[in-house]
Parts: sequence; C-alpha cells; structure tokens
Amino acid sequence: MDSLDTVVLSRWQFALTAIFHMLWPVLTTGMSIYLVVIEGLWLKTKNLAYYHHARFWSKLYILNFGIGVASGLPMAFQFGLNWAPFSEAVGDFFGTVLGFEGTMAFMLEASFLGIMIFGWQRVPPVMHWISTICVAFGANLSTFWILSANSWLQTPAGGVFVEGKFRVQDYFQAIANPFMVKSFAHMFFATLETSLFVIGGISAWYLLQNRLPNFFTKSLKVVLVMALVIAPLQVFVGHLSAEQVYHYQPAKLAAMEALWETVPAGTPADWSLIVLPNEAAEANPLEVKIPGLLSYLLELKPKLDTPILGLKEWAPSDRPHLIGLIYYSFRLMVAIGLYLAALAIVTIVVWWRTGLEGDRLRNYKWLWWGWIFAGPLGYLAVEAGWIVRCVGRQPWIVYGQLRTAEAASNLPPQVVLFSLSGLVALYTVFFFAALFFGSRIIQKGPNVALPVPGLQNAEQLEIRIKLAEHQPDRRPLETQQ
Amino acid sequence: MEPNPLAPLEHFLPQVWFFILGLFLFLYILLDGFDLGIGILSLTSSNEQRRNILMTSLGNVWDANETWLVLMGGSLFGAFPLAYATILNALYLPAVIMVVGLILRAVSFEFRENANNKGVWNLAFGIGSFLAALGQGFAVGTVFEGIKVDAAGHFAGGMWDWLTWHSVLVALTLIQGYVLIGSTYLIYKTTGELQQTHYRTATIAAWTTFIGAVLITISAPIFHEHLRAQLFQPPLFYVFATIPALGVLLVFLLLRSLQKREEVMPLVWTFLLFLMSFIGLGFVIFPNIIPPSVTIYEASASPSAQVFMLIFVAFLIPIMLAYNLYNYLVFRGKVVA
Repeated sequence: MDSLDTVVLSRWQFALTAIFHMLWPVLTTGMSIYLVVIEGLWLKTKNLAYYHHARFWSKLYILNFGIGVASGLPMAFQFGLNWAPFSEAVGDFFGTVLGFEGTMAFMLEASFLGIMIFGWQRVPPVMHWISTICVAFGANLSTFWILSANSWLQTPAGGVFVEGKFRVQDYFQAIANPFMVKSFAHMFFATLETSLFVIGGISAWYLLQNRLPNFFTKSLKVVLVMALVIAPLQVFVGHLSAEQVYHYQPAKLAAMEALWETVPAGTPADWSLIVLPNEAAEANPLEVKIPGLLSYLLELKPKLDTPILGLKEWAPSDRPHLIGLIYYSFRLMVAIGLYLAALAIVTIVVWWRTGLEGDRLRNYKWLWWGWIFAGPLGYLAVEAGWIVRCVGRQPWIVYGQLRTAEAASNLPPQVVLFSLSGLVALYTVFFFAALFFGSRIIQKGPNVALPVPGLQNAEQLEIRIKLAEHQPDRRPLETQQ
Repeated sequence: MEPNPLAPLEHFLPQVWFFILGLFLFLYILLDGFDLGIGILSLTSSNEQRRNILMTSLGNVWDANETWLVLMGGSLFGAFPLAYATILNALYLPAVIMVVGLILRAVSFEFRENANNKGVWNLAFGIGSFLAALGQGFAVGTVFEGIKVDAAGHFAGGMWDWLTWHSVLVALTLIQGYVLIGSTYLIYKTTGELQQTHYRTATIAAWTTFIGAVLITISAPIFHEHLRAQLFQPPLFYVFATIPALGVLLVFLLLRSLQKREEVMPLVWTFLLFLMSFIGLGFVIFPNIIPPSVTIYEASASPSAQVFMLIFVAFLIPIMLAYNLYNYLVFRGKVVA
C-alpha cells in the first residue's frame, strides 16, 4: 500500500509542477520571437513606437521568465528525486538530452537575458538585437530538446531495453524518434500562438479603453500578421499530431475518442461531441455523435481502411484511465485552436474594411472582447494538450516499455506529501502574485518617455516634447508616470 | 578471453566526465556562491537603497549563475545516471529545501521589482538564499560523509541520514563561505559606506569560514573510518597535508588585503580559497561518485552515451564560458542604484 501511495503522490507532484511550470515558458518562448520581430522593426524603420513596444512587452516577459525558471527547477530535479528507477533505466538517452537542453539552450538564454533586460544603454542597438535573438533561439532550442525527450517517451526509438535498462544504438534515431518532428512543430506554434493572442488581448484591452490607440494598433497589426499565418497552420499541425497518435498509440486515440468498441475496417467511424464515459461499465451511457466524421478526419474517406481499436482491446491495466479528462481536454484544445484561427480571419476582414486606422476601430467592441477573451485561451489549450499527451500515455512512462508504477522512487509517502504540499502552497501564492503584478504592469501601461539608446540628450528631449504633444495621456494625474 | 577494445575508453571517459562535472559544480559554487551570499547579506541591509544596490548587482547574472546547477544536474543525469538517481534519492529533503529556497529567490527578484510594499519579497529573497545555501551545505556534507547503498548501488539508508552534527558543521561553513565571497564581490562592485560595511562582513566571514574549515579538516579523519584510511595513504597524504597549509596562507593573505582596503585582491584570494577547498574535496571523493563505495566506473552511463555527450559538451564549454564572460564584461564597473 505504501508504494502505491508514493507513486500516486509522486505523479501528482510531477503533474502539478508540470502544469504550473508550463504557464510561464509558454509565454516567454513565444514572446521572445515577437520581441525579435518588434526590435528588428525598430532597427529597420527607426520608428520609436517599436522601441517602446519592445520595452513594454519585455516587462511582462521578465516577470514570466523569473517564475518560469523558479518552477522549472523542481522539474529538473524531480527525475532523480521521485523517479530514480526511471532515471537509471533511461539515463543514457534521457539524461543526455536534458544535458543538451542545459548546455545548448538554457545557458544561451540565461546569459543573453541579462543584456536583453539591462543592457539597452550598455551595448549598441544591433548587439542588443543579437542578444534578443540569442534569447529567442535558446528558448526555442529548449522546446526542441524537451519535445525530443518527451516524444522519445511516447515512441522510444534508437535502441533496445536490456534487463530493464535502455541501451542506445543510434542517438540520432533516438532524438529524431517518430513523434519528434510533428510534436516539436505543434509546441513551437503553440507557444507562439499563445503569446500572440496574449499580446493581442492586452492590446485590445487598451483599444477598448481608447488608451494610446495608435500605439496599440501597431502591436495588434504585428500580432495579426503573424497570427494569420500561425493560427491556421497550427490547426493543420495539430491534425497531423492527432494522426500520428492514431498510428503509433492506438490506446491513446481510443481514450481521446472515448471509443470502447473497435470500429472495423470498411465501416464509417463516428465523431462524438459529448460523451459520459463509464469506465467500470466500459461504455458511454450518453453519447452525441456526428456520423462518419472520424473516418474523414483520420483517412479522408467515408469508410476506414484500417480499423480503429477500441479501449476493450487492452486489458484494463494496460489502458489509460481518466477517459473523460482525456476526451474533453482534447476537444477543448481543438475548439480553442479553431476559435483562434477564426478570430484572426474575422479581424483581418474588419481591418480591411476600416482601413487599418486606430480611431475607426472603436466601434468594434465585440471584436475587442473576442480578443480579450482569446488572451488566456492559448494557455488552456496548451495545458489540455499536455494532459492528452501525458495522461493518455499511461500506464506507461516509456510507452510499451516501462510502467509508471515501476519507475517511482521508493520514498516514504509522508516525505513526498511534505514536498508536494510545500510546492502547492508556494505555487498558489506565486500564481496570484504573478496575476496581481502582471495586471499592474498592464494598468501602468508603456513608458513612452524612456530614453532611446544611441541618441544625444537634446534629441531625447525633443522626442519627449513631441510625444507629449501627440499622445495626450487621459489617465488621472497620480497614475501617470 | 578476447581483449575488450573499449577498455581504455571505459577507464578514461568516466574520468573526463568526473572532471567536467567538477568544473560545472565549481563554477556553480563560485558564481551562485556570491549570489547566494549577497542574498543572505541582504537580510542585514539597513535600508531600501542599500538593498537595491545589492540586488542590482545581481540582476543581470543570477539566472546564468544558477544555470550552472542545472547543467550539473543534467550532465550528472546523462553521464552517471546511477549516481544522479541514488544521490538525489538520499538527499530528498535537503534538495527540496534547496529548490524551495531557489524558487523563493528567483520570484522575489521579479515581484520585488513591481511591488509597492517590498518588505515581503525582501524577506523571501534573503530567506530563500539562506535555505538554498543550507540545502547545498547539507548535500555537500552528506556526500562527503558517505551515502548508504546496497550491492546494486541503490540508496539503502533512511530519509534523515543527511542530518548529522557533521553535515550541520559543513552546512554552516558553506554558508559562511558564501557570505565571504558575497562580501568580497560587493567590495569589488560598490563604493563608500556600503563598501566599508562589507569590508567588515568579509573580515568576520573570513574568520568564521576559517574556523569551520579547521574543524572539518580535523574532525573528518577522526570520525570517519573510510576517510581516515584514504587520507593517510601515501599519494593523498601529501595533498591532505599541503591543502590546509595553503589554506592558512590564503586566509592570512585575504585578511591582510582586507586590512589594506584593497578592492580586487580580497575577491581573488577568496576565489583561490574556494578553488583549493574544492580540489581538496575532489581528491577525497575520487574515484568514487557515491562515496564511500560506488566508483565513477560503476555508476557510468554506457561509453557510447558518454562519448556522444562529450562531443557536444566539450565543444560547448568554451562557448558558454565566452558568453558568460561577455556578460560580465558588459556590466563591469561599480554598481549604481
């Protein structure tokens, strides 16, 4: 009984750490690319608004980065702390990849971050831009290594398990395992899309209040151009990701669709919208279906070529549990992906009709509410997607090879409970503190009087006077900077 | 029996990786050492302006400094998976204390920046720094003393094995050492009254670190049989005799440079003191990676994994050092609030 409790608590601890940690790098990884773009636009056009945009958004960036680093530390150490048998069994490959993440990606990001945040007046603008590029490159390289490692857990390749220990035969094959390319692409777009809609949502909030409308239509324009490409592409890549699950992890696909019975080849498969799965009865007492849609989604045919296996094909101990969670997480992610793509397309139509002018956009309140609403949705989609990916993989920690229950350290349960409650308490405080300080940064707004690097004092003064004339600040005096 | 063509490699590779891990750990202790030391010192800051200077001196580097620990963990995982699993398993509670401390520190930087009432986050920053140093001190003390393992090298001790009077002594000494290097770094980075304060804290910390080091050096062979056997063997004996002698000399030079109000030399002497203690510790542990009984050869990942990682990491180490150095160069000179 003791060992079971420790496994459950260790799983809870890992899941909570991962869910909490994910919230912060999602934004910083994606936003780093946006910052590269906006800073590049400043260097190219010499338009000061872009410079002030870079300064404003990097404030939110820093806040998120600190919490991301802090919550990432327990992730890095938990493999050894709570999953010692796992670490020992797959260390040859998994440890190597995590080592690569640290040496190649994380150090690059951490070293240039100092210059990116504090170095505006210390290095030439081009060098600053290069630092921002290094930060963005490092962050996305982290995504690459983490996704390679996680994909390997889903589709272990490049070696064999000998006496419970993984022996690598070909590292490149293991790194480029079957899940890697599409999973990385899906996550790369996820971080970028989430960040774009956070930036877009905040910009829309300013537009709705008619605060600095010209300033924030600028950020919205950049967001929109990027989102128009990314959001539809993400729907497509997401589809490819689901397809690879169909081919490599049929039990997970069955859980995503709450399918108990196998759908044989030569018949149409239905896609359900609402189910109420009952795991004990191995059936869905309630089900609302769209006939034939699933066979179209998977094979673009009305009737299947290969059967879709139902959950009953596996013994209860070999199939994922929490079917309802997996099922609805998947649908939530899909719905959000479609909503964000639709929002980008609707906005471009409105924009085309209004002629891209900040002042005329005031009448489209519903659209700005749509953007504000979209701000947090990316996070939800990312969390939901990871739940599908990792809860759907159970009971395996290394798919088909090593069970989660056999991979946990033999620790007294109360010790794990102690660390788990400590982390929950800290994370709760940090979550609300981050919301509080984040909204304060947004309330305060951009500081358009910040000195511009590379200009003389007289020019700085001139810019300030110009800004003061052209951008009246309508806020009460005490809140102005 | 056919000779194993990989035999020389299997002997050589674990040693290379032991050295690389040592390098990462040393850079971590040195760099995050002054970082954590300044955090602990911030608890004694008399006003907000001073605390501000202290934190500004760390703003651009704390994250990169902490990354050496992540590198250490990741490389240990890759190169010696058994050691990674067993050591962290044995050190569960100290590691949790350390991680909680580092978390508190990291968020305090950002939250303090945005807060009107900075008191809470100042305290969280100081306490976080202290907890991180404390957890690390217990970890070093425990590894030094030895970890109980079974025949397969898995952890076989209890959850509280790490808490002994000896590990307490090591932890307290390490904290003093961090305060010392933090103080000498601040002497180098600040001016005026603040600098004078840290000449005083550096002098006190030099003495307390020295006393701790003397106690550890004397007590280690007396109370630990395996260390005694190892330390009084001929090759190690000379090291064991030389290092304390050099240590006394360095402490003397450090105290004199503090007396003379030199700005750079206290940091240099402290650096050498750290380097020497670290080399001493390395000699005591080598060739084990889980003292007292599991060697680097037994805990190694397969040679192919170590070679594969080595190709990339050896190439990256000079690059990482270069851009870390560039970062320090960009922000060289005294801190202004």
